[in-house]
Amino acid sequence: MIEFDHVTRTYGAKTAVSDLTLAIPRGELFALLGPNGAGKTTTIRMLVGLLRPSRGAVRVCGHDLVKDPRSAHLHLGYVPDEPTLYDKLTGREFLWFIADMFGMPQRLATTRIDREIEHFELGEFADDLAESYSLGMKQRLVFAASLLHDPDVLVLDEPMVGLDPRSVRIVKDLLSARTREGMTVFMSTHTLAMAEEMADRVGIMVRGQLRFLGTIAELREQMALESTTLEQLYLEVTSARRTEP
Amino acid sequence: MSRRPPPPEAVRLLSFEDEARLFMRLRGTLAWETIRSMLADARLRLSLVVLLSGLFWAALYGLFLEGFGFLDSLHAEVISLLFNAFFASLMVMLVFSTGILVYTGMYCSPEARLLLTLPVRAETIHTHKFREAMWFSSWGFVLLGSPMLAAYGVVRHAAWPYYVVMLPLMISFVFIPASVGSIICTLLVAWMPRLRLHALTIGVTAASVAALGLGWSIFSQSQVDGMSAAWFERTFARLAVAEQKMFPSWWLSMGLIEAARTERDGSLLAAGLFESLKFLALLVANALALQHLAAWVARVAYRRGYSQLIGEVPARRRRPLRWFDRTLGHAGFAAGRPLRLLLVKDLRLFRRDISQWSQFAIFFGLLGLYFLNLRAFNYHNAYASMIGYLNLAVVGLILSTFTTRFVYPMISLEGRRFWILGLLPVHRDQIVWSKFLFSFCGSIVPCCCLVLLSDCMLGIPWPLIAQHELCCVMLCMGLSGIAVGFGARMPDLRESSPSKIAAGFGGTLSLVVSSLFIMATVMLAAVPTHLFLLARTLGPGAVSPLGSFAWAGGPWGAAAGAVAVVALGLVATFVPLGLGLRAFRRLEA
Repeated sequence: MIEFDHVTRTYGAKTAVSDLTLAIPRGELFALLGPNGAGKTTTIRMLVGLLRPSRGAVRVCGHDLVKDPRSAHLHLGYVPDEPTLYDKLTGREFLWFIADMFGMPQRLATTRIDREIEHFELGEFADDLAESYSLGMKQRLVFAASLLHDPDVLVLDEPMVGLDPRSVRIVKDLLSARTREGMTVFMSTHTLAMAEEMADRVGIMVRGQLRFLGTIAELREQMALESTTLEQLYLEVTSARRTEP
Repeated sequence: MSRRPPPPEAVRLLSFEDEARLFMRLRGTLAWETIRSMLADARLRLSLVVLLSGLFWAALYGLFLEGFGFLDSLHAEVISLLFNAFFASLMVMLVFSTGILVYTGMYCSPEARLLLTLPVRAETIHTHKFREAMWFSSWGFVLLGSPMLAAYGVVRHAAWPYYVVMLPLMISFVFIPASVGSIICTLLVAWMPRLRLHALTIGVTAASVAALGLGWSIFSQSQVDGMSAAWFERTFARLAVAEQKMFPSWWLSMGLIEAARTERDGSLLAAGLFESLKFLALLVANALALQHLAAWVARVAYRRGYSQLIGEVPARRRRPLRWFDRTLGHAGFAAGRPLRLLLVKDLRLFRRDISQWSQFAIFFGLLGLYFLNLRAFNYHNAYASMIGYLNLAVVGLILSTFTTRFVYPMISLEGRRFWILGLLPVHRDQIVWSKFLFSFCGSIVPCCCLVLLSDCMLGIPWPLIAQHELCCVMLCMGLSGIAVGFGARMPDLRESSPSKIAAGFGGTLSLVVSSLFIMATVMLAAVPTHLFLLARTLGPGAVSPLGSFAWAGGPWGAAAGAVAVVALGLVATFVPLGLGLRAFRRLEA
């Protein structure tokens, strides 16, 4: 579903992502971890087509993000770290705009909009202008919009920022259900507990390089630290004393 | 290459027409919701703006009506010259302003980031943001241009088709420089992201040098026979560059002039209308072709440019004026330090925002150029005095556009950073005062220098120069007070684009009030002086019809005018500032 094929991205003399090769199959929830400045945001930006790789290719469902971005975006849903909405549109109008953008037929769009409004408990304020929403409400609406077209790939950048505990639970349950149905999730997060709880595999990036790729059990095995938490493992991997695996 | 799964159920890529319809619906909904919220929440304010805008339009219409009548009686050809020069300079300004707004909308807005992650064509996003940029860059043209062209039609006794073709001619013209600005911006960002700042600087410098050279060539040799037929002939010949038949500004001028032509009996001249329609067709064809080209350029270069821009490493800047900031920050008593530090911060932001200082430099540079050449006109005393007051009003009007565009949004823009200021040991009043001082101190030097230059070139005696300088100081103070006071009274803390904040209700109201203030100030100073000159030239009998107000034409009249100007300036400064301070103290961020 997602392929990074020897992807390198440089900013002037600095290499933000170095020769990243990664394939994430259908139905997997992948969490990308790493300290600030590790290259996570650059990776996400390349995955959603905002940034072009300096070398290599990024593909979603076989569509190259540079050569054929529109076809790739048809398979993608994206929840950025800062939700972007139109202040003068109501939540429902925004969802209709997104549904229309994906060319969804009227009847199906109505069903899906109602479904997502119910899933994310947006009913109370769906007909208010987005300018009156709190950060959490905006984030829930962006989640709803990103799932409207049942994407094959969902990209999440710090997805839980601004969400209350109940909304976090809703999102977690939904992600589990959708991945079981075959959706691939690529998530960048600093919330290690969430990665530990939900991710099938994790990748840990340090200074543009993927230092570790595998399950948490594999990470424990590799680090020879059987009963430690992901936080301790993460700190071990990202510390400068360690060499590449 | 992996196997490509089909797109999700019932999802498809939209056709170009469907995308266009979708964005048109989006713009319609956004506009309607904006109007609906204004009608629901601010009916009184909306009515006030409509009323004041109407008054402003009517005043401009009256001014242009008088002006065109005067010019028509002197040299009818001068109108064609004026139209060409006016529309040519407007064309250059629209290229720059649309380019800057397209850059902001397409590359810096969160909306662009959202749209670029959706399955929509790059050229559709470009068209959407281009229309928005064009609207924001050209509303001033419509507000100023429509009363001017309507007045021209009335003076020329134009038949109804003139008024019908006027708007299509203006709109199709605006598309041309706006498209050129958009194309230049898109190409610069895609292929020369590091050069965009330098390119803009070079473009502005080249345009200024060209304008300077042209101005010098026109006026430098015309000191003896100013305003004579020979002078006009020579001026016409030198202004031929603005009358190039390849310029869209010439097509617009000719389209308007031809449409206004009538038979001797005042009836519609069919040949004139036909010619005008040909120019309209030429403008529309070029506007469409350039729109098509701009869309093609966006298709090829937009995504590439966006990626280039967000992947750009900020260059390490030199800080040549750091010593000045440090001196200002530490100067004076410790009690005033927070205020000075806020001033230093605003000064730094101004210096590093090219859209602010470049427009400031262009407008005031062009005005300086015009004033430098005033000596060539050899005005006699009465004219010199009148032109001096008109120049004062022009300086004020240009300053008012800057205070509205850049100073008015300053408080609103603090909204997003309000938590920083709110937690500092700074009184809220100091924030408002710092904005006022920034605007007042920043405007007073260039404005007073320009007025002094104008008066020196016109050979105006020193007592009048002193009066003009006093008016200029009061204008700088009042306009800063209005912009900062209204900005604090009606902040828009949600909006991040200063152009949108300025184009909103408060900005429009600030512009209208500023214009009325300028007119009142200039009138209060000019009327007694005019009566005084009249009495001195024609004898005391010239002002005797004023009866008991005949003293207004003497020294007491001038003194009363000066006192009234100071009083009005103080009211215009402190009333809006007082309202703004009170509202800002109560503001909950």
